[in-house]
Amino acid sequence: MSETPAIETERLTKRYGSHRGIEDISFEVRAGEVFGFLGPNGAGKTTTIRTLLDLIHPTSGSARIFGLDSRRDSVAIKARLGNLPGDFGFGRETPGREAVRLLARLRGVDGIGRAEELAERFRADLDRPLGQLSRGNRQKIGLILAAFHRPELLILDEPTGGLDPLMQEEFLALVGEERERGAAVFLSSHELDEVQRVCDRVGIVRGGRLIAVERIADLLGKARRRFTVELRDPAGLERLRDLPGVADFELAGNRATFTAAGDLDAMVRELAGHHVVDLEATHPSLEEVFLGYYDEGEGAS
Amino acid sequence: MTAQIGALVTTHLSDRRRSVLAWGLPLGLMSAFIVAIFPSVEDSISKAVQGYPEGLKEAFGIGQLTNVEQYLQAEMLSLIVPLAMGYLAVRAIASGLTGAAESGRLDVLLSAPVSRSRVVAAGFLATAVELAVVLLVTALLTGLGSLLAGAGLDAGRAAAGFANVWPLALLFAGFGAIAAGFSLRTPVVTGAVAGLLVAMYVIDLIGRLDPSLGDLRYLSVFKYYGNAIEDGIEPLAFLGVTATACVLAAVGAWLFERRDLAA
Repeated sequence: MSETPAIETERLTKRYGSHRGIEDISFEVRAGEVFGFLGPNGAGKTTTIRTLLDLIHPTSGSARIFGLDSRRDSVAIKARLGNLPGDFGFGRETPGREAVRLLARLRGVDGIGRAEELAERFRADLDRPLGQLSRGNRQKIGLILAAFHRPELLILDEPTGGLDPLMQEEFLALVGEERERGAAVFLSSHELDEVQRVCDRVGIVRGGRLIAVERIADLLGKARRRFTVELRDPAGLERLRDLPGVADFELAGNRATFTAAGDLDAMVRELAGHHVVDLEATHPSLEEVFLGYYDEGEGAS
Repeated sequence: MTAQIGALVTTHLSDRRRSVLAWGLPLGLMSAFIVAIFPSVEDSISKAVQGYPEGLKEAFGIGQLTNVEQYLQAEMLSLIVPLAMGYLAVRAIASGLTGAAESGRLDVLLSAPVSRSRVVAAGFLATAVELAVVLLVTALLTGLGSLLAGAGLDAGRAAAGFANVWPLALLFAGFGAIAAGFSLRTPVVTGAVAGLLVAMYVIDLIGRLDPSLGDLRYLSVFKYYGNAIEDGIEPLAFLGVTATACVLAAVGAWLFERRDLAA
């Protein structure tokens, strides 16, 4: 697998006059990695993607894809990537097959067999004009156009919008296969569940700035976990309240609930001195982690 | 590179196939009607024209209306066909650039290894072909009208008259490419260039009506349009205007490369 990052940005910034676009976005996506780019609408996800694709030009900073400059080497880069725009369109009267054929000719790809395989897999109708298709079915055509040439990098902006649950599963499976093949996938989304299931790392973007880049497991591990502890002798519970990292402590009889972050060694040692009747630990969902980042930001601002 | 431009031109033409009928049919039928009625109105028209003010005749390029070619020039080729084809040119190139941006197609095309300059070049080439085909349909229908009515239209002179519209119209495709370098909104691009088209026509008209303002005509492409149906195509003007259209398209491509693709 290549050592050169599939994507590498350095303080990438785009401003629209006095309006905010993105500010100092720096991250790296490795070959063979699925990278989730999380944030609500308007956070700057699409602006970042359009800058990577040289559709808009950065105000400052730089982006390199496969080690090539995203502006100067844009054409060479695009030979190796596939892109699904957030609001996929191609013209109302064009059937999907015609769009695939055009893209195949532009890419110098012989035959559209792989596109037909994907169409069968996603139950996409390549013969109906795109204007006659539902949003979800148009999205399937967009996915096929992005992936049919087996690119080294897939850039997908809100890829599952409009897809039914069955097709979302199929999409997640496809992303997994692309990773197995060695392709990198950059996936912008606000669907936390799909990101949690398929991504290796995520970047969280808020107000045009990248506020965190973490492995999914680390992100969940760093987050506060919720504990419920039941001891035979409730007297021991009060000592848990004062342990480092413990918060939201509530005591009811011989049962305590609280949240804890970071190293749990002190808590385990404390509990070891008591008769533990029951112990339950709940990991937060990515959604809770994500909302936590947003709450912190709003509190700070 | 050639294969990419070929693919883009083919797609552009396929998308715009209806315009050949939508524009060629009405213009052709109107022209056919004009030449078809000429034999029956020839005498009265000639007499009427003799009474026209000289300035008016000069302004509209009406010398005499003693033959069907002069009548076709006065009724169709001096005003209606050039203005219609100029507008069609802007519509055509805008559909490949601003229209594609609005539909989302441009984002998909530019996800492939295609430079923006090639997209503009393909749009310009496709427009050139579309204009030629619409003019051909118009000319053929005109010839058919003459044949059916026995108007005796000279095929070679008529062909020259219609062919001479092509570079003039293409020039406005060049202006359209430049306008798309500044705005990705189709109404803005078509409105601005259609305004320029009419302005150039009016400037030329003023220059013809008032000889003291004759130098103004250098600002208008209509100065170089001439009267090909009577005088034949002026090669220098034909090539010069075509070359200028290509230069304008190249400038448009340069601007398009440098702009953000967000409406």
